[in-house]
Amino acid sequence: MRRGFWPLAGWLYLGLLAVFSLLPMAWMLITSVKTQFAAIQFPPEWIPSHPTLDAYAELLSPGREIGRVFLRYLLNSLWVSTATTVLGVIVAVPAAYAFSRFRFPGRNLLFYGVLLRNMFPAVVFLMPLFIMMRFLGLVNTQLSLILTYLTFGLPLSIWLLKGFFDNIPIQLEQAARIDGASRFKAFLLVVMPLSSPGIIATAIYSFIQAWNEYVYALTFLNDDAKLTLPVGLQHFFTEYATNWPGLMAASFIMSVPVVAMFLVLQKYFVRALTDGAVKS
Amino acid sequence: MVRHRADYLYVAPAVLVMVLVIAYPVWFTFYLSMFSTPPNLALEDKIFVGLDNYARILGADSVHEASLNTLVWTVASTALAFVLGFGAALALNRPFRGRGLLRGILLVPYVISAVAAAYVWRWLLHSDLGVLSALAMATGLRSQPFNFLDNTDTVLASLIMVNVWKEFPFVMIMMLAGLQTVPDQLLRAAQVDGAGPWQRFWHITVPHLGNVSLVTVLLLLAANFNGFTIPWVMTGGGPAGASEIWITQIYQLAFGRIRFGLASAYSVILFAVMMTMGYFYVRALVGRDRAS
Amino acid sequence: MAGYRIGRRELLAGAATAALLPGALAAQGNKTGVDASTWTPDYINKLAGTADYDTAAECAKVVPLDYKGRLTYWYWGVNQASTEIERKMEADFFAAFAKTYPNIELVKQNLDYNAMLDKLRTASIGKSAPMVARLPILWGSEFAAKGQLMAFGPTDVGYSEDEFWPGALKSVTWKGKRYGVPTNNETMAFIWNAAIFKEAGLDPDKAPASWDDVVAYSKQIKDKTGKNGYGMVARVNAGNTPFRFMPQLWAYGGGALDEAEASPTYTKIMLNSPGAKAALQASYDMYVRDKSVPVSALTNTQTENQDPFIAGQIAMMISHPSEYALMIERARKATGADKQVADNVVANMRYGLIPRGPARRAVVFGGSNAHVFNPNIVEGGMDLQAVKAFVAFMTGPEWSIKLAWNISNPGNVRGFRTKWMRERLDTIRFLDVSTSMLPNGIPFPVLPQSAEIMNIIVPNMLQNTLTRKMTPDQAAENAAKELRALINDL
Repeated sequence: MRRGFWPLAGWLYLGLLAVFSLLPMAWMLITSVKTQFAAIQFPPEWIPSHPTLDAYAELLSPGREIGRVFLRYLLNSLWVSTATTVLGVIVAVPAAYAFSRFRFPGRNLLFYGVLLRNMFPAVVFLMPLFIMMRFLGLVNTQLSLILTYLTFGLPLSIWLLKGFFDNIPIQLEQAARIDGASRFKAFLLVVMPLSSPGIIATAIYSFIQAWNEYVYALTFLNDDAKLTLPVGLQHFFTEYATNWPGLMAASFIMSVPVVAMFLVLQKYFVRALTDGAVKS
Repeated sequence: MVRHRADYLYVAPAVLVMVLVIAYPVWFTFYLSMFSTPPNLALEDKIFVGLDNYARILGADSVHEASLNTLVWTVASTALAFVLGFGAALALNRPFRGRGLLRGILLVPYVISAVAAAYVWRWLLHSDLGVLSALAMATGLRSQPFNFLDNTDTVLASLIMVNVWKEFPFVMIMMLAGLQTVPDQLLRAAQVDGAGPWQRFWHITVPHLGNVSLVTVLLLLAANFNGFTIPWVMTGGGPAGASEIWITQIYQLAFGRIRFGLASAYSVILFAVMMTMGYFYVRALVGRDRAS
Repeated sequence: MAGYRIGRRELLAGAATAALLPGALAAQGNKTGVDASTWTPDYINKLAGTADYDTAAECAKVVPLDYKGRLTYWYWGVNQASTEIERKMEADFFAAFAKTYPNIELVKQNLDYNAMLDKLRTASIGKSAPMVARLPILWGSEFAAKGQLMAFGPTDVGYSEDEFWPGALKSVTWKGKRYGVPTNNETMAFIWNAAIFKEAGLDPDKAPASWDDVVAYSKQIKDKTGKNGYGMVARVNAGNTPFRFMPQLWAYGGGALDEAEASPTYTKIMLNSPGAKAALQASYDMYVRDKSVPVSALTNTQTENQDPFIAGQIAMMISHPSEYALMIERARKATGADKQVADNVVANMRYGLIPRGPARRAVVFGGSNAHVFNPNIVEGGMDLQAVKAFVAFMTGPEWSIKLAWNISNPGNVRGFRTKWMRERLDTIRFLDVSTSMLPNGIPFPVLPQSAEIMNIIVPNMLQNTLTRKMTPDQAAENAAKELRALINDL
């Protein structure tokens, strides 16, 4: 790369932006290793004078009450998010494929209809969805959450994957079919492998949406044993007090899996967007 | 039709689940918007009032005040997130060491929970105990804490800042993908022809990004219009309604004041505005699809 | 402790004039052995440890101990921000219930205070309410008015109504019927930092006697020390706000409705009364004119005041009994240099009565009630025997005091006679002072709109004043107009 004004400006810009991005995470981390008393001082201790990992130790030790509850929430969250993600892929891939390849009547209407999900605010749907889940006998089941979360991720997933499939030459499939493969088999053997970055990208997206959701989880579940992590965060507040180190440690632990996942898999995300939707 | 029966099987699960989760709530919201649901009555005993709820929402001063806030919140959040994110994408769109890591760092705000982020930001911006104030005071830049959130003049801007923080990474990654589709040969050819960086940017890069920009902006507008967590957790719409937007008012009406009927009418108005916006947008998208 | 003595002296005067309780409770003295006509710290001390009760035997009279059944229960219980003793008491409670009624399967859900109301409303509409819920005192009437609760009072679980405070019974009454059993009741008190008082040239052991004094002290503290004087709370949609502002409003002679009068009708609007305007003016003077209170009062809940109070940055505030317990525990856990600071704060903490105003001394009568939901909206059907067993167990003298250990007081007044009251008095400093405010307690209006009045209309009125969007006068008139619309809307 040529040296000069632009790369330098770029570095400066990215540096500032990185500070901006990480500031809240940094504060989260610093607070999480303080004692409760130290956490509320003003001016604050920039570097904890008596750092302690107590908050983490409590949260992560299954032998203690807090840890037992927190780890259960963690497992519940993993289960709900993973199930949402897997189901999301199973549902989105064929739909996106059909929108890309087939010319059935009402195709455009259905496609844009699916995209409309993002237009409806989640909080407005809270009560009617609850009534419906009750009608379906799904209140207090994690399935109610999985179904709801599925629809958060689907619009972007379908849109992204459709773009992806659009760019896979139809001749490849046709070649496979001439060799005797069924349409489904051709799809499975030719299209799926070629579109794996797109599938991974949509999977990450669905996972994050499900992982962080709070309001529906709070409303739909009535059993401590079934709750997910974001709802668990409320256990660090009472009417009069907040356990700041505990809350920050829990938030931090909650962020780790998704941040790590994104760090590892982000290149697929970019590639998926590049090869997929954006190009069309 | 028969010819396509199998085709529908592919989309059926997706459409079914979307219909299940959307159709009933939408119908229910429309239906309930015709009823008065005072706090002393069970929902079954609601009173039919026709379009009265709509009249009350459209005539309320507090709604008018919130409309301006909603417009500013939605447009400013979208515009700033777009500019910031696009800038980051441009700066990242060249190979250098540590690019992957830096890109990962910049994605962090997008990935972490909005609720947790809102709590931390509330603390960072707090008018008495704010971490940013303490930083400014420790370095001698200020003698008094900043008043970001308890000030009717600055509260909305502060919330927009937090919202932009949460959303710019999404723009960044979308635009980064878009930038990588700009053909290198074209750029190099232009350079050979003597075009400067600005000219190449305006005449080659920007035209290639039309589609992805439109989609990104659409998704941002929808997300911001419904952006609930950050204002609700940080200020609850205060002080004195200065950071109240439509969606926080709807929530307040539904759950703070238990006026489900009024809240439903308000929601329908919100849907209608979104749909109109969405319609023009989708038309633009389809138009570009056809053109390309 | 001088602050303590002054509190006691003032209290004797206060108890003699308090209208809410003595008459009603004097008569019940014979039945329960608790007589509130002489409700003073001395009396509370003398009473403690004078009686023993057998919880299992009392419950067995209501439901046989071998009863086999199932119970669903939602409550707002301990969590990771609670003190260790609260957590222990709650764990003991569930263990003891399981031991007393080994064949009742208990499915419980512990909910966050801020999330519980919305969740319960949604669940009631969706017909998946629990059988029993323990709710803060303000919430029950809304569910009762909607027919979502079952008529169920103290007598349904074998207790005499005389065993509960009249104010608490009022809070579970809707259209003449009881819709709940009080579990615990408490009043807040005034808390201050003696060291900051001293630094500002004030008598470190004397609480401000009146709300006018609070305004003056707050200014003097800010001017002399740079620290915030009074810990104001004015966030909208936060239960903390009315618990701190209404005592001031009532003291100046105002009210939301006529809840502060001897026999309230809840139909007269008093938000625009001269007393209400005077209280607003006092808040305006502190926030806008003197700038002697936290700037963040508009977005703060009590949490954001308690933290700086412990850190020595706020001089005085209205405090819930549980906050004191929490501060002690935090100080105990502090380490190194923090330990010194924390111990200092605890040593400098003083508790006293909430100031009086021109009209009266007042405090919000707080607490929780156990409610039973209407069988037709209960998920999985109702098991009334299991409900009775559980509510009897929870609201008896033993568990109503143990579950209230350092955060409240027993709803069942016989709890005051137990040895556990003795133990609490011996270990919790200031407990007798905060407990002795009970006769000054005023319950919020018992109306389904109460939550809206207290959590939205009143805080909005404050915010409109403090942001100078309106003058105190305009804000009061505006709030009165909103309140009138709300009352007429039904």
